[in-house]
Amino acid sequence: MTATEERQLRRALHGTLQSVSPPPVPFEAITRRGKVIRLRRAGAAAGALALAGIVALTSLALRASQPPTVPPAAPAMTAGPDGVFASGTADGHPWRLAVQNIAGPGYRCLPAIVLNGTDADPVYPAPGNAASVALDQAVRGVAFAFIQLPASVGGVIVNGDQHVPAVIVNACGYRYHLVGFSYSLAGPLRVTLAKPYPGWPSDVFVPTLTTPGGSTQAEGLWLNTYTYTAPGVTASATLASGTLPGGPGWIIKLQFGPGGDCYEFAQNSPAGAQMGYCGPVSTPAGPETIMALPLGFGEPGAGAIGYAFQVSPGTARVKAVLDNGSSVLPTPRIVDGRKYVAFVVPSPRSLHRLIWLDAAGRVMASTTAVPRYGYTQFQP
Amino acid sequence: MTNRRDELAAVPDVIGTDSDEDFSAFATSRWPGLVRLAFGLTGDRWLAEDMAQTALARAYVAWRRVSRADDPDAYLRRILVNASHRRFRRRRVAEQPGDPPDTPIDGPADLVNERTALLAALRQLPPRQREVIVLRYWVDLTDAQIADTLGCSPGTVRSQLSRALAKLRDNPVLAEGDDA
Repeated sequence: MTATEERQLRRALHGTLQSVSPPPVPFEAITRRGKVIRLRRAGAAAGALALAGIVALTSLALRASQPPTVPPAAPAMTAGPDGVFASGTADGHPWRLAVQNIAGPGYRCLPAIVLNGTDADPVYPAPGNAASVALDQAVRGVAFAFIQLPASVGGVIVNGDQHVPAVIVNACGYRYHLVGFSYSLAGPLRVTLAKPYPGWPSDVFVPTLTTPGGSTQAEGLWLNTYTYTAPGVTASATLASGTLPGGPGWIIKLQFGPGGDCYEFAQNSPAGAQMGYCGPVSTPAGPETIMALPLGFGEPGAGAIGYAFQVSPGTARVKAVLDNGSSVLPTPRIVDGRKYVAFVVPSPRSLHRLIWLDAAGRVMASTTAVPRYGYTQFQP
Repeated sequence: MTNRRDELAAVPDVIGTDSDEDFSAFATSRWPGLVRLAFGLTGDRWLAEDMAQTALARAYVAWRRVSRADDPDAYLRRILVNASHRRFRRRRVAEQPGDPPDTPIDGPADLVNERTALLAALRQLPPRQREVIVLRYWVDLTDAQIADTLGCSPGTVRSQLSRALAKLRDNPVLAEGDDA
């Protein structure tokens, strides 16, 4: 390798690693880990002493004691490789809840609970999470829920008579105990633990949606509990930034987590403000949630519109065709193994068509059904 | 309910109030560099933050020793690399390199593709070769310093570096663009 090539490598490596914007230093997590390390070391030292005692007493114990009794393991079903832990039919429509990896190929496995293969909800690392979602366009009047249970709790009882057993789901190297069920939005919902668990109330809180037509919850967006173990944000990044005609800068940021794919659109001007909105989390093979929000406040149509959405792993580029025939070619940015695209359409232009391109430049899909404000879902 | 959080809250502060401020300043100044170094070693943003946390947590536990060390950064780097080794042992099968883009790289708009291609090329290297590349061209360490970090001889560093560069030579990131 020549000196020039080495300089090129150094430049590329610096460019790549400097582009990483770490979050603020997580002091609490670091000090907590420090304490865990100290506890483990103390435990290991105590364990070594205890082991010596056990070895010394083993022969006596063998003579004196009965064979040890092992408590029977609680029976639990294990989900198959497809990760399905609950399924059924609601109002004539089949449904299923599963744990699925929603990261692109080649990236760290990212487990999420999906309803019928779409609308993902990242799985929490510990029990205690419960969430509901509704798909009014597909199944009216019905919501779907899951609960992450401790391993020793065998299931839950829904509305006093429906026993829902926990299912073990192995995904991304982790093991989860999950229950899933559907419930009618017309009636109350009461969920009780099948077996008491220390520190948990017998009634499990599941965030419920309101009656049909009155729900304020967005279609396909999970409503989660937030327990102390739950991170509010799984990943965050700046997706795109630039300058509008006339000078003001703009930026589109992403916060991805149990709250969904949350975008923040901001315009850097004296009168500029931020707009933020969350949409359903897309899955690699599911519909893509296309978000559109004005950059800052103003009369509709008077200002620039920002667009952001997650694209499938196979998407290499997206072409945004404007109403005057010109086009924007934003490059996808990968955040936590998921590809996103973000760009801005300055006033008075408007977005006419979106075209998905693969690595060879071939058209994968296109649509003219783009939102002006808020989000829409499109299946490429 | 006695949970893990309560249990940890009962553990006294590891380093004491006075040293807390020193550690806080140390962690704040090192955190971005550690995350970036870990990202270079793993290509995984989540894992990088996790490894950086681990390194600083270990530094926190051993703060008295670390704060008096001639080169605390070398200590952190060693922890980070060791954490990376443990990760490779656990996840070797799961790790799959991403595909570099088919289209040629030119212009600032394609920086993301360039970076993706570089990360993909790094992922295709064996862990030790990836480490020497990142430690040499990102951290700017000498052969001896890299050897100290990795726990090997400077000769091993040179041979690993040579092999890694040979594998990277055909990468389009190195073959194209200016080097100004």
